[in-house]
Amino acid sequence: MRRIGILFAIGCCLAALTARAAHTQAKLILSADTAKPGDTIWAGVDLKMESGWHTYWKNPGSAGIATKIEWQLPPGVIAGEIQWPLPKKLPPAEVTTYGYEDEVILLVPLTLATNLPSSLIDLKANVSWLECKEQCIPANTTVDATLNVGGETKISTDAALIQSWQGKTPKSGNSLSAQAWWETPATNDTRSLIIQYFPIATLERLIIDTADFFPGASDNFEIQAVTENLPGNASGFRLRKLVKKYSGDWPKEIGGVIVMERGGNREGYEIKLPVGNQAPAGEIAAITSMISTAPTPALPSQLLWRMLLYAFIGGLILNIMPCVLPVIALKILGFVGEARSEPRRVRNLGLIYALGVLISFLALAAIVIGVKAAGHRAGWGMQFGNPIFIVCLTTLVTLVALNLFGVFEVTLGGRALDAAGGLASKHGAAGAFFNGVLATALATPCTAPFLSIALGFAFAQSATTIILIFLFVGLGLASPYVLLSWNPAWLKFLPKPGAWMERFKIAMGFPMLLTAVWLFNLAYDDYGKHVLWLGVFLVIVAFAAWIFGEFVQRGRKRRGIALIIALLLLVGGYAYALENQLRWREPMAETDTAGSLKESPDGIDWQRWSPEAVAQARAAGKPVLVDFTADWCLTCQVNKQLAIEIPSVRAKLKELNAVAFVGDYTHFPNNITTELNRYARAGVPLVLVYPKNADAPPIVLPEVLTPNIVLNALNQAAQ
Amino acid sequence: MKKALVLLTAMALAATTFAVEVGKPAPDFTATDINGKTVHLSDYKGKIVVLESYNSDCPFCANHYKTGAMQELERDMASKGVVWLIVNSVNPNNSSYRTPEQARREFVDQKITAAAWIDDSSGAVGHLYDMKTTPDMYVIDKNGVLVYAGAIDNRPQPFGDPRTANNYVRDAVNDLLAGKPVAVSQTKPYGCAVKYAD
Repeated sequence: MRRIGILFAIGCCLAALTARAAHTQAKLILSADTAKPGDTIWAGVDLKMESGWHTYWKNPGSAGIATKIEWQLPPGVIAGEIQWPLPKKLPPAEVTTYGYEDEVILLVPLTLATNLPSSLIDLKANVSWLECKEQCIPANTTVDATLNVGGETKISTDAALIQSWQGKTPKSGNSLSAQAWWETPATNDTRSLIIQYFPIATLERLIIDTADFFPGASDNFEIQAVTENLPGNASGFRLRKLVKKYSGDWPKEIGGVIVMERGGNREGYEIKLPVGNQAPAGEIAAITSMISTAPTPALPSQLLWRMLLYAFIGGLILNIMPCVLPVIALKILGFVGEARSEPRRVRNLGLIYALGVLISFLALAAIVIGVKAAGHRAGWGMQFGNPIFIVCLTTLVTLVALNLFGVFEVTLGGRALDAAGGLASKHGAAGAFFNGVLATALATPCTAPFLSIALGFAFAQSATTIILIFLFVGLGLASPYVLLSWNPAWLKFLPKPGAWMERFKIAMGFPMLLTAVWLFNLAYDDYGKHVLWLGVFLVIVAFAAWIFGEFVQRGRKRRGIALIIALLLLVGGYAYALENQLRWREPMAETDTAGSLKESPDGIDWQRWSPEAVAQARAAGKPVLVDFTADWCLTCQVNKQLAIEIPSVRAKLKELNAVAFVGDYTHFPNNITTELNRYARAGVPLVLVYPKNADAPPIVLPEVLTPNIVLNALNQAAQ
Repeated sequence: MKKALVLLTAMALAATTFAVEVGKPAPDFTATDINGKTVHLSDYKGKIVVLESYNSDCPFCANHYKTGAMQELERDMASKGVVWLIVNSVNPNNSSYRTPEQARREFVDQKITAAAWIDDSSGAVGHLYDMKTTPDMYVIDKNGVLVYAGAIDNRPQPFGDPRTANNYVRDAVNDLLAGKPVAVSQTKPYGCAVKYAD
């Protein structure tokens, strides 16, 4: 009797102990209620932790201990290895551990022998773990579940839950083409390791907030928790980890999970890599060629199609982006002029326009491939950083405006096409082709939504893929015009041709003139006050154009003399204004204006962007706004005027004591290209908001901004 | 502000991570023990010193004390002239923190025979030695050179009898006393995270 009393007392104490330790509840769930012999079913050990408590991953990190499952299974049932869902890094920073909060389901495959008799079987496991909050408590419990072995397979109500947790376990990392090597020689107990990989399979979620590596457990060495993201290249990631050696030789192989995060979405890839003693041979050359020519690891065709679709939609949207709008005027005009003609002719014009667009995009693709092959970084709209290009385009757009004003007519260059195709009048064919080229030239400084995704993808691919993507952007840009030209009936709403067309044409000359002024303004950066001579040159060109139109094209007498005068004016203007005064082929060196970049007395106190400055502001616990912009990027300017440099955002920045940085991409500084590549963007705009919590990844804002998007991101950053 | 402090600490840590290295002189420190006495590490030059990062609420430490294995080791070491210093870096906001008075009582109740229990609630000594877990052990030889850093033994369990394990601290001290180089000089520490102030 007394003995029973003691036993009872011990039982009480044990129960009390378990209750005290029960900050975590464990239970066993199965993916099937009934299974056939020979089946493999999934068991899940479901650990539910009270708020604030955590349990550990297979590598607990600097402290803690991995959860253990000891199975007690009937004969004929074999348990496999635990499949661990992706863990989190748990604070404090100086003793980082890897584990789970709130809930985790550890998954184990159970294989039933083929000769297992039909019956109800009991599956049991002893689960032991260490649960920690302020204190750590070891706990263990026995969990069990019954499985019906029979002639069919019937999933259980928990099957969906188990499946959802399977989605949280790492996939195979074979597709990542990962490599690892020692960055430093073995001089003491700590050595730095580089892991590089190319996340082809995740490109559909192109913009990755953070990339990290969670090492597997090891006794002789420890891969420390801190991960440094190094600038890789357009498609690759490069992580630096410090490895501390406790005993033995430096590891020849490392294993673990690469984790990529975007928004709240995490994806893990299990890798096991030999560690090289130095960077792979020809590392620098390899990276360059990897981008341009080397066969990139097989691209899933589904992904390629999706990117081509993005490219097409992006091209479509380009039609209404601010930089292409002036060209739309030309296009509409073209329609009004041609719509009443015979359908075949209109169709052909549509196709010629598309041809102009596509050939221009092919030329762009060739430039991108060429630039990459030369080992440089390519960027969308990069030609706008080239002053020579700007001077040419300004002149061209001025001429187009003059043409719309009726100062002269375009009849040049049509003959060849006319002769070759017998398609249309010189005017129509050449004009349509030229429209296509101009639309493309003006479209490049604009990155439309969707387009940035497709281009970010394209810039990291092989030459063939680059060409394909560019062609699809071109198709998207040209398609509305082509469609309309094949269905002129859709244009019935337009009035009959008449005198209004001439007025409309002249009216459309003004947006074109505005475009010229904008381009002219870009040239200021390169030539400073000498840009005056570009203006003088433009006036001389305009004068020559008028002489050409008035006295050569429409004149009756002495047309030869007029032509000579026009040509002399052009040559003289070029020689004096451009060559002698502007020195247009040798723009002055870029000047770095120092200090605050405030645009008005009450404007945002912009600071010049640098990675160090951002790190410093974040270290001080301040939210940070970064605007990567360029003078030639109209989307950026529109964003700034409508959603950034506005009173509500100014006030919010002041209220949050946030720091604003502006990164000027006008001349493609390498450090900004690197930053853009990190977010898989091929060009600006890129606006980032860094939360004041220095560990949190930045919020990447969409290309086209509204005040609310910016304000919401800032509010989120302040939490 | 709190974040900034954490960052500063982390930066200070990064700077000190490499200050402690096995085979190099162990960094000196000045600290106060639970009796209010000032302790300089340099005072013990000429003697072997063991540092133990301690938190009796941590089940790994608790197991070593509950089973009496740790006290046995401390007595054994003391009999060989080794100075044993307990370093408690639990911050005052943690429920495992011990006031000097509670610590003095625990010192007696647990039958600890250490030379001193250092009140390191600021984490200064813990950070200086990059102590990660409780228990995390350090052995310093007579010349003040760090000769061992890491786990107390090869049995990272909060249950069972630690005496069945291979005790790295005892082995290191015995190697020193035998005039031999320390065979196992570094291992990965196990246990609970040290409860440093944020």
